[in-house]
Amino acid sequence: MTDKAYSITAGELAELSEGQLPDPLVSSRHLIYNSPAALAYNSPGAQGFGVKRAGLAVPGSVMLLVSPGCCGRNTTVLSQTGGYGKRFFYYLLDETDIVTGRHLKMIPQAVCRIVEALSEKPSMVMICLTCVDALLGTDMEVVCRQAQEQAGLPVRPCYMYALTREGKKPPMVHVRESIYSLLEPAPRRNSRTVNILGHFAPLTDDCELYDVLHSFGITCINEISRMKSYDQYLGMSRANFNLVLNAEALPAAEDLSRRLGIPYIFMKRMYRPEKMDKQYRLLAGALGQTVSLQEEKEAAAAAAADFRDRHADIRIAVGEACNANAFELSLALLEAGLCVTEIFANISREDFFYIRQIAAICPQTRIYSNLEPTMLYYDCSDRPADLTIGKDAAYYHPRAAHLAWNEDIQPFGFSGIRRFYESCQAALAQGGRA
Amino acid sequence: MKGLRLYLAPFAPDQAGAAAVLCELGGLVVIVDAGGCAGNICGFDEPRWFSRRSAVFSAGLRDMDAILGRDDRLIAKICDASAKLKKNFIALIGTPVPAVIGTDYRALCRILTSKTGLPAFYVDTDGTRLYDDGASRTWLALTRTFARQGKKAEDRVGVLGASPMDFGNIDMQAALKEQSARMGGARLLPYGMGAGFEDVLQMACVRENLVIAPSGLAAARFLQKEFAIPYKACCVPELIPGLEQILRECKKRSVRNILIVHQQLLAGSLREQLRRFLPPGTVIRTGTFFKMDRDCMESGDLKISSEEEWIHVLAEGGWDLLIGDKLLFDVPAGDIPFLPLPHFAVSGGI
Repeated sequence: MTDKAYSITAGELAELSEGQLPDPLVSSRHLIYNSPAALAYNSPGAQGFGVKRAGLAVPGSVMLLVSPGCCGRNTTVLSQTGGYGKRFFYYLLDETDIVTGRHLKMIPQAVCRIVEALSEKPSMVMICLTCVDALLGTDMEVVCRQAQEQAGLPVRPCYMYALTREGKKPPMVHVRESIYSLLEPAPRRNSRTVNILGHFAPLTDDCELYDVLHSFGITCINEISRMKSYDQYLGMSRANFNLVLNAEALPAAEDLSRRLGIPYIFMKRMYRPEKMDKQYRLLAGALGQTVSLQEEKEAAAAAAADFRDRHADIRIAVGEACNANAFELSLALLEAGLCVTEIFANISREDFFYIRQIAAICPQTRIYSNLEPTMLYYDCSDRPADLTIGKDAAYYHPRAAHLAWNEDIQPFGFSGIRRFYESCQAALAQGGRA
Repeated sequence: MKGLRLYLAPFAPDQAGAAAVLCELGGLVVIVDAGGCAGNICGFDEPRWFSRRSAVFSAGLRDMDAILGRDDRLIAKICDASAKLKKNFIALIGTPVPAVIGTDYRALCRILTSKTGLPAFYVDTDGTRLYDDGASRTWLALTRTFARQGKKAEDRVGVLGASPMDFGNIDMQAALKEQSARMGGARLLPYGMGAGFEDVLQMACVRENLVIAPSGLAAARFLQKEFAIPYKACCVPELIPGLEQILRECKKRSVRNILIVHQQLLAGSLREQLRRFLPPGTVIRTGTFFKMDRDCMESGDLKISSEEEWIHVLAEGGWDLLIGDKLLFDVPAGDIPFLPLPHFAVSGGI
């Protein structure tokens, strides 16, 4: 028995190799604790974009969720309060459906009924499947083709297979492929058009990436979330290249490269100005251009310095339920001269790169997994925080100032870094700690 | 098409009903799923989850666990957690994945008890049924596992069926105060919603049981059969949300044909209250999407099994007032006035 939550310091962790992670930090080796801090992991759709909401990224589309009732339950919130009122429909499987597979014959008819019930014909119907059909081995491509013929509009599958979460193609990777699967090879490509892939909401309007692309002669920057119509969406197939800003969109970019011949470039969101600068230079180099973002870089660095000068002594807890990699963000904060006492995150192999650098600056930073069973006993009085970043960290430190930093609209680049520190400042001011 | 929902989102599923019963009982509750079910249950269907810590876990099943039937891994994970956490029992709650692969819960529970020394039981929910079915199975499993013959305490009355699914996140003990007075000052024990695991262990020692939702009936009947404890099925009026306002509104509107839609016992109790207020001859029917117990129904009461049927009931019933959760009326069936009667299992926290 224990009455303490498991944790390990960055220093201790850095001495291990990637393959030596202690069991409590490997989610497949223990039960998954289900606390509000783990909600983003257990039910990605509960906050932000899960498969269902992401699957509706295509303008004018609607979704038919084919599943037992339990899988669609939290969609009630999206339907009622998320602005998705008449875009979700359900085919609720019963035991007979599951045993006999009779629902597969009903889907084309269900799609027709949905189209009839809507005052405006949808652009397409996305059929969302869950673990049941994963286990039954349903060939939904065939069913979708039948539905498409009968209903007279595009019908595509998307897969909410939680069982494959840690596999090669987890649901949030798969859905990104699904939403771009309707793009067909364009007769002619436009050398001044680029698609930004990765997110389901746009970048902040003040993101310098737009100016950078314009300075390269790009006149049309496509983001699916800014598309007003289905035809506009189809126009994405004319892009000269795809710019991928989230690794979960890489397989989708690969698919577009293979099918449509559109090459792609990958950039990571980073909170360290030097690294961001390097990425912009690499982007420019790949496109045969040059770029100078000295002013933006200095503004980002100044925002970090200003925050540090005002709050050098605060203790910060960083979670993973935010628009950042918790380890990269923690490293950025530490490099800026701030104090990160705790990190709450699931560790991937790639994170070791950051953990070793964190350990070099602040070996006593403690790392927890939101998913580990002993988090039931987490006690914030052991290690109080003044500022939390991410909804999960806020759960553990209810009395700290909180920055959720998880808005749909995505921060990126130098403007993202500047906004981040300004938001930290605002959060502390709101919490009476400025 | 029975399964198609064009207007109504799915109601709370059986596994959420099961988890709601166990939330306050101090057990190690394992949702045997890949993660999404546990997230849905806690994030949407359990209002208490945000304000109190409860040991609800996901088994974290992955595709290879399902394909290869790696129950040994699940057992190891549960044993590991039970060694670290001090809990009263282990409960396995089923979901679609174990239902499809045919997990042998009984064997798992036997092994878990033998390895951990903790009582273990299961609820074979599968996500296709509704919350009250899961809650009913869980009450019954709890009763079968823990109820033992003992000395009757004449001042104790068990309350079966209490769950936020039916009554929202209310203070159940406070809401039952008047009922306690009506029952001669008896100590009312709403299991799972105020009365904890120690009281569950004494389930067979109460004078009688009060069943406030159909999900409690199976357990009450079991206790009657095995321990000769009588029960009464009746939802307490203080548990009807907005009762005073509903009564006032009904009187004001001079209505003649009313349909109340909720869980059967709450709807029936509201009907009794309305009958005292409204002129004789007013037709008041109850309807439910959930369990309809034959012994508790009146002729003309409606069991609704699909959205299609619900639209038909609304369109053809000639109702001049509907009373039920507001989300139920978001269907195209004429412009019938309605009074809201929240049902958490329908609209959740919305």
